[in-house]
Amino acid sequence: MNSMVFGRYLPVDSFVHRLDPRLKIGALLALLITVFFDAGFLGYALIGLFVVVALILTKIPAKMVVQAVKPMLIMLLFLSVFNLIFLHTGKLVAKVGPLSIYSGAIFQTIYISIRLVLIVSLTTILTASTKPLDMTLGLEHLLSPLKVIKFPVHEVAMMISIALRFIPTLVEEAQRIMKAQASRGVDFNEGTFKEKVFAIVSLIIPLFISAFQKADDLANAMESRNYNPEARRTRYHQLHWRLADSFVLGLIVLLCGTIIVMSIVL
Amino acid sequence: MSITFKNVDFIYSPDTPFSYHALKGVDLDIPEGSFTALIGHTGSGKSTLIQHINALLLPSSGEVRVDDFIITATDKPSVLKPLRQKAGLVFQFPEYQLFEETIARDIMFGPVNFGMPEDEARAVAAKTLEMVGLNDTYMERSPFEISGGQKRRVAIAGILAMDPDILVLDEPTAGLDPQGAKEMLRLFKSLQKSGKTIIMVSHDMNQVLEYCDHVVVMNKGRIERNCSIDELFKEKDYLSSLSIDLPVITAFINDLNSQGFHLDHDIKDIETLVKAIGGELHE
Repeated sequence: MNSMVFGRYLPVDSFVHRLDPRLKIGALLALLITVFFDAGFLGYALIGLFVVVALILTKIPAKMVVQAVKPMLIMLLFLSVFNLIFLHTGKLVAKVGPLSIYSGAIFQTIYISIRLVLIVSLTTILTASTKPLDMTLGLEHLLSPLKVIKFPVHEVAMMISIALRFIPTLVEEAQRIMKAQASRGVDFNEGTFKEKVFAIVSLIIPLFISAFQKADDLANAMESRNYNPEARRTRYHQLHWRLADSFVLGLIVLLCGTIIVMSIVL
Repeated sequence: MSITFKNVDFIYSPDTPFSYHALKGVDLDIPEGSFTALIGHTGSGKSTLIQHINALLLPSSGEVRVDDFIITATDKPSVLKPLRQKAGLVFQFPEYQLFEETIARDIMFGPVNFGMPEDEARAVAAKTLEMVGLNDTYMERSPFEISGGQKRRVAIAGILAMDPDILVLDEPTAGLDPQGAKEMLRLFKSLQKSGKTIIMVSHDMNQVLEYCDHVVVMNKGRIERNCSIDELFKEKDYLSSLSIDLPVITAFINDLNSQGFHLDHDIKDIETLVKAIGGELHE
């Protein structure tokens, strides 16, 4: 559980937590796209500054950000090595044995690293500051125009919210089963390959059985309450668009606009 | 096999916003060969405490001693693997840990993990299956086609097959029918008589009165009582402050005594109580 930081909700109260989920989802999407516009280091500095301010406003501890980025390091390393070896643009900078390293490759590597870190940080801000249920509610609102073309918005939103709701339950269940099997002498950390495979089997099978059991129970519970996805329903929990949301929306439009203009002009 | 906790603290996810201080300065001695009840509210730290006994959790500070094993914050789990065989831990709803194709193979799983040869383990499996009240026609059946109560028995047999000296049970009778629960508890009692130390988390004070001899009360991560059950059930006010009901028999004795009877508080079963009441009425 301690290692599972990416995608986890941080239960504190902050400016970003109080923002409308529709805004946050939309903003994330816009910013993710903007990150891929090449506006030079100045552009990344702008987005970087925005991200740092947002992280501070979300009250995410620096440690949590580092932990979220950490799993990306291996991918980053992999990408960097490939880029350095195979990308031959710009000036020749160094020659190590059979390898030639070009300036274009170095820049490209730095860009990719910055992009990845920004993407992870942005996503962390959204997931840390938005409760899963708010997230689906926001998503449902954002997708609702698709109802015109008979897209099952409510069903999809319901599926997503159920899936999200079950992530912590299944993680908890997995830990419980791991402990139970560890009590029966399973060693999940050490042992030969065959022992490890067997250890995983002793986790996966009970986990699957319990997941299907829970799905079955939930389906029964929904049916016994006469759940009908097409029924018109009201909501207890309403989303409210506030002045702060409009302000942040303006800011993000400005930021994304600037970056895109910069990338075209430069 | 003695169990000793020395000033044990345990914190879940330390140094994160999710950190939770589950055990606070726990000092505890569990007598060897006792049938100890562990009681307390949900979230009082019972499950955290029992997971220290077989080193599934390592104390954040302080130390736990189980026989010759000393468990501290810095121990490597691999060193402690032999402890898992000596202290068998049965989780709540253990039927969810079943995974093998046949019941026999599932019960053998533990012993084989601790290095027992397969044929020997199969014999042990047959024996423990009988102990939990299922005959050997069950050996080759799938653990997923039997009833919930039978699954529970198979799962408990899986721990018993490791022949642990200490048996730790987290609400072993939750969700069992009264007859099945009684059979389970009698089995644990007989295991205690054969020399094992039994620790059982329970919310049912009637069970505690009838089967246990020692009791540990936890509240908000601390040990509040560590005494014999006779002593605990004398503290009516303390128990009601924890909203724990007295066992039916003890409550009945209290009622009778307040109406002029002089019955012994330590009576634990109906027959003795009936005789005692009869004796008094006779006088």
